[in-house]
Amino acid sequence: MLKIHNLTAGYGKVQVLYGISIEVTKGKVVTLIGSNGAGKTTTMRAVSGMIKPTGGEIRLADRDITGLPSHRITRAGLAHSPEGRRVFASLAVTDNLLLGAFPRLTFSRPKGDVNADLERVFELFPRLKERRNQVAGTLSGGEQQMLAMGRALMLNPDVLLLDEPSMGLAPLLVEEVFRTIARLKGEGITMLLVEQFAAAALTVADYGYVLENGRIAVHGPAAKLKDDPAVRAAYLGQAH
Amino acid sequence: MEILLQLTVSGIALGMIYAVIAFGYQLTFATSETLNFGQGEALMLGALTGLSLVGHMGYWVMIPLVMIFGLAQGVVVERLGVAPAMKTKSEFGWIMATIALGIIFKNTAENIWGKDDLKFPSPLSELPLKFLGVNVLPMEILVVIGAIVMMLAVELFSRKSIYGKAVVATSNDRDAAGLMGINTGMVITFSYALSSLTAAFAGVLVAPLTLTGATMGTVLGLKAFSVAIIGGLNSGMGVIVGGLILGIAETTTGFYISTGYKDVPGLVLLLLVLAIKPAGLFGRAAIKKV
Repeated sequence: MLKIHNLTAGYGKVQVLYGISIEVTKGKVVTLIGSNGAGKTTTMRAVSGMIKPTGGEIRLADRDITGLPSHRITRAGLAHSPEGRRVFASLAVTDNLLLGAFPRLTFSRPKGDVNADLERVFELFPRLKERRNQVAGTLSGGEQQMLAMGRALMLNPDVLLLDEPSMGLAPLLVEEVFRTIARLKGEGITMLLVEQFAAAALTVADYGYVLENGRIAVHGPAAKLKDDPAVRAAYLGQAH
Repeated sequence: MEILLQLTVSGIALGMIYAVIAFGYQLTFATSETLNFGQGEALMLGALTGLSLVGHMGYWVMIPLVMIFGLAQGVVVERLGVAPAMKTKSEFGWIMATIALGIIFKNTAENIWGKDDLKFPSPLSELPLKFLGVNVLPMEILVVIGAIVMMLAVELFSRKSIYGKAVVATSNDRDAAGLMGINTGMVITFSYALSSLTAAFAGVLVAPLTLTGATMGTVLGLKAFSVAIIGGLNSGMGVIVGGLILGIAETTTGFYISTGYKDVPGLVLLLLVLAIKPAGLFGRAAIKKV
């Protein structure tokens, strides 16, 4: 569904990614783990068009999306719940969610039943339903995270990118986020997940990639990575 | 007392014109943090285009045509002046570019319509109505209603339509709006178009009350700019209150002190606001929650 081949990217003159290749097959959850500064978020940004890749190729459902602006990549069916949530602070919860369906509401993507999907998101995150008319800037961190995920789901995406959905959340909320991811996986949603909680990420994922200094160091089935002594020592030491 | 009331009424009409132009400044600032310093010239072009059209059709038919003209003029300003500067991440390029375009528009207008001020035929009776001993021109009432309707229409669009929400989303967080599939470059172009539309509309509203000419926009644009600063660049209420304060301050100073000093109180207020509350009387300092 999503194929990243030999991707290079960076910020200005600073190169961050040195040719990484990742494949996310339909219906699977793939996780990208690694230490801070390894290039996880940069990878996500390059894939969704928030920054322009300097080289390599990205294909979404066999369509070349390399270097397209983010609004066109979104319209092609890739939703990105970005690091730091980035909800629209001055807009109500419902408006944030409807904006997630913007391409569907403006005829650049099949419309389907937007209201049914809105109800589905509210069912997935009952807290958002309670606060549907509240302005997003006044939500708690956990609620904003739910909103960012719900907003991305409203696209009915072919691939969902989740960047650090657990960042800055209390342990109970972190568990809730992972339960939600597992549930979405059960619904057959294709995901690329970037996480600091490597153990939890490898538990929910089918396949994993370990990123080190802008290169893929190891990759393999998630269960196998979890038992890999080198991965355990480097990334699973403290988490859980 | 009657005189004071009279001056206030005249000040209100003037103030609402300032408010509409200032509202236009806010529209582009919200989406792109840039301003069209040729906003006054957009108003002037709207008024003069309206004057040329009004000879061939009624005032009311002319207004929508002038608004379409304003839309197109705003697109030109954004594409030629602002988009290139934003593309090269030039922080101040848009300032010089919009000022330069403003001067070009003014010179062009001088060549087409001449340097003299022209009379704009009034669509309503020019005989004042009397309320409590105060004279009110029907056109002044139209200015106030027109200004409010214009601002409400834009507000309604922002709140109710998905395209309006896309504009608000772009003002909140441009990158995140892009991730929603919103073409934020187009939203910024649109905000310029809308901003020039409101200016052109203000131009044909105010033209029957003042004279029309190539130089009419410069001072109006500058005053509306100080209204936007006084009221706050992100507050709709702010520009209305700011516009009224400035409008009334001008008419009263003009009468009680001297017309030579009528611009002083507004400018003093501008300096005070900048010193004490730089975000404007109603402006919100941005709160960011992480």
